[in-house]
Amino acid sequence: MSDFLLGLGLVAHLATFAWCAFGSVLGIILGALPGLTATMGIALVIPISYQLDTATGIGLLLSVYCGAVSGASIPAILLGIPGNPNAIATVEDGQLMTKKGLAGQALGGAVIASLIGGLGSEIFLIFFSPLIAKMTLAFGPAEKCTLALVGIVIIAAVSGKSILKGLLMGALGFVFAFVGPDPMSGTLRIPFVEIFRKTPLANGFDMTSTLIGLYGVSQVFSELANLRKKQNTNVCTNIGKVFPPFKKVASMWQIILSSLGIGTLIGAIPGTGASIAVFMARNAATGICSRNKKKFDQPGTGCLEGVFAPEVANNAVTGGALIPALSLGIPGDSATAVLIGALMINGVTPGYSLFSQNMPLVYSLFITLCVANVFMAVFQLAGVRLYPKILLISQRVLMPIVLVLSFVGPYALAGSSVSKGIYYVGTALFMGLVGYIAKKNEYPIAPIVLGLILGGMFEEQFRRGMKLGAGTLSRFYTSPICWLFIALSVVIVVSTVIKRKKTENAKV
Amino acid sequence: MKKILAIVLSLCMVLALCACGQKEQGGTSKDFAPDPEKTITLIVPQGAGGGTDTQARQLVEAMKEVSGFQNIIVENVTGGSTGIGTNQVIDAEADGYTLLMYGTYVVCGTMTGYTDGYKGLDFIAGLSLEPFMLAVKSDSPYNSLDDVIKAAKANPGSVTLGNAGATATTGVVAYGMNIACDNAFNVVAFNGSSELIPAVLGGHCDIGVFSQSEVLANADGLKPLVFLGQDHSVLDEFKSVPTLAEAGYGDLNVPGGCFRGICCTKGAPAEMEQWLADTVEAAFNSDKFQSFLNENGLLPQFSKLGDFEKFNSDMIETMKPIIQATGLAAGEYAK
Repeated sequence: MSDFLLGLGLVAHLATFAWCAFGSVLGIILGALPGLTATMGIALVIPISYQLDTATGIGLLLSVYCGAVSGASIPAILLGIPGNPNAIATVEDGQLMTKKGLAGQALGGAVIASLIGGLGSEIFLIFFSPLIAKMTLAFGPAEKCTLALVGIVIIAAVSGKSILKGLLMGALGFVFAFVGPDPMSGTLRIPFVEIFRKTPLANGFDMTSTLIGLYGVSQVFSELANLRKKQNTNVCTNIGKVFPPFKKVASMWQIILSSLGIGTLIGAIPGTGASIAVFMARNAATGICSRNKKKFDQPGTGCLEGVFAPEVANNAVTGGALIPALSLGIPGDSATAVLIGALMINGVTPGYSLFSQNMPLVYSLFITLCVANVFMAVFQLAGVRLYPKILLISQRVLMPIVLVLSFVGPYALAGSSVSKGIYYVGTALFMGLVGYIAKKNEYPIAPIVLGLILGGMFEEQFRRGMKLGAGTLSRFYTSPICWLFIALSVVIVVSTVIKRKKTENAKV
Repeated sequence: MKKILAIVLSLCMVLALCACGQKEQGGTSKDFAPDPEKTITLIVPQGAGGGTDTQARQLVEAMKEVSGFQNIIVENVTGGSTGIGTNQVIDAEADGYTLLMYGTYVVCGTMTGYTDGYKGLDFIAGLSLEPFMLAVKSDSPYNSLDDVIKAAKANPGSVTLGNAGATATTGVVAYGMNIACDNAFNVVAFNGSSELIPAVLGGHCDIGVFSQSEVLANADGLKPLVFLGQDHSVLDEFKSVPTLAEAGYGDLNVPGGCFRGICCTKGAPAEMEQWLADTVEAAFNSDKFQSFLNENGLLPQFSKLGDFEKFNSDMIETMKPIIQATGLAAGEYAK
């Protein structure tokens, strides 16, 4: 209890609330602008957070995170363009509702759903994190290695239309992960070692610059192809009623609970992320609705159910993703990967020691997360009538802004070192080209990022697990956790392949 | 073609922006004070949250307080066995605005060939010594160093000995101990103490080489076996932990702890180095920093400029035979 009060003391400053409010507004704007992601939003405010008190800085980062995840639904509903991958599954029903003249209710419903998802998953985070922190001790090198394997398999299996393409992109991510020092001996593994030895590339590709390049810069390159095409100008400015009826929301408790569970769970499994969770939640909601046709409208016909399910899930992912991030130091998704980096810059190392040594800070983090969710809801509701105006900006104006922001982020991240900043900008540019080429040829981008994050982890932990077992696989086959993860990987691969075969046969 | 042109143009814009970021150099006045437009960056070549990082952050806070100069920041640059961060300081502009949290690890890194290390640095001030300890999980069957070494010798390779990195100082301790015990241990290098601690707590690794503050932070879960410092620990919690000599292994010659200090890029202006050394000295003597040292069981060992350089060369002479004996030494340091 005294830890909790100490945590409250860290948060209870006007500055914290002011920065959280700023972060929420910024997050919503970034989330709503196509091409800008929660990941990039966090990367952009890192330099600011760094100047603040630790608790305040973390509050700012979390506010941007929550705001950006939730703000992505705005363009998804109004224009049918998801602001970022979190809103992929919101597009269909949101767009249909707008066409029906229910845009206000869709936007308002999405905010309420996001708030439920955010706060609901935080309850999981608060009550199960200390327990999970103890459980994490069971995760030695061998277990972490097989956990990384599960993450890699899931993303390769689910993302995109082709498993082969997903796996290929995952492998490319692995290749990128191998650039830099050997994790065991520190020897450099990089082409042209003599040239690159003393550059920041000797440390491997910078994660944030890579992410910004793959998502932000590549988006600009893709849009360059559409430069001369007709711009989307028929934005619906007729908003209508904002709040969905309370009765309607209450009647959807089954959908809310299933989405909350799926979002939190998927969020907590490293290497998954919102884009899978939202589709799973929407599928689950479709199942619930078809079993009770009188009570619910069917998702896919432009109804609140179809907006609620993915929007609860994507904000539930934020709380879920923080569980392994805080207790294991393993990112649950790419946004938390950047968040972990930002926490470390702020002097907080996530992992077991955080819970054993710094509980007040953990509580202050929980409190700011709650504040961030509430601010996100308040500001997003307040601006519902304004949002369509942002979307009136032409792509020809918007894309240069996106590009500048994409380069400012990595450059600012380098801190005092100019040469390092240029290397980071170069990384973003290079990865932007990689992302553009991949997108153009319909290869999914997410597996590259996960290959990069999990590939390095897989290799390092595998080799350490082998060393602990004196050169044998004994650490792997004596651990029930390892067997569980290996079995899970096999099940995922087999079930995906069978499912694909079935749909192909059905088409024929 | 137009697309390529557009890409090139946008790249030019970005480069132009970057160029704007570089500040113009101001002149220096006679009554010396650092340029308020510039930022002093203290580079910690290890991850955030460890003992080195904590001390760096404490020192920076104290430096800000005693000097009134607020633009001092800590930056963690990890990788390459602390070589990456060290090289970044060596390659920085020689203006004294880029500092390195120097330590025994840089000596290890230099002798094992990861960095030019102390040869590319100017010495500002030495700070403290943090003693090492060997510890096991609290419910481990091992109760003394003797237990561990006997078990390892009875069944070579069966006892795992963890350290924070192959070329970290704790790595040198682990390899040194292993060589003295006829390679009876399975020495495993972890990625910093933040990975080593949970591995020992979770029973994945049998013994770990820790710095004293790390054992103190996890006093519930870890059982210290032996104190590697010269005398007993100054902390009440560890007063009863035996030294190497008391444990019966007085002839085991390994580094007893991690020394830390502040260095800057070689060739910085003398007046800037003097200002830095004076500021660090005032910060070191502040009540806050002194109580930080006391609470964490760190042994104060202050020296300045030339004295620090001499202290360092003594330290190098002591460590050379140990590192040579481990077989990790490279270049001119190899036998």
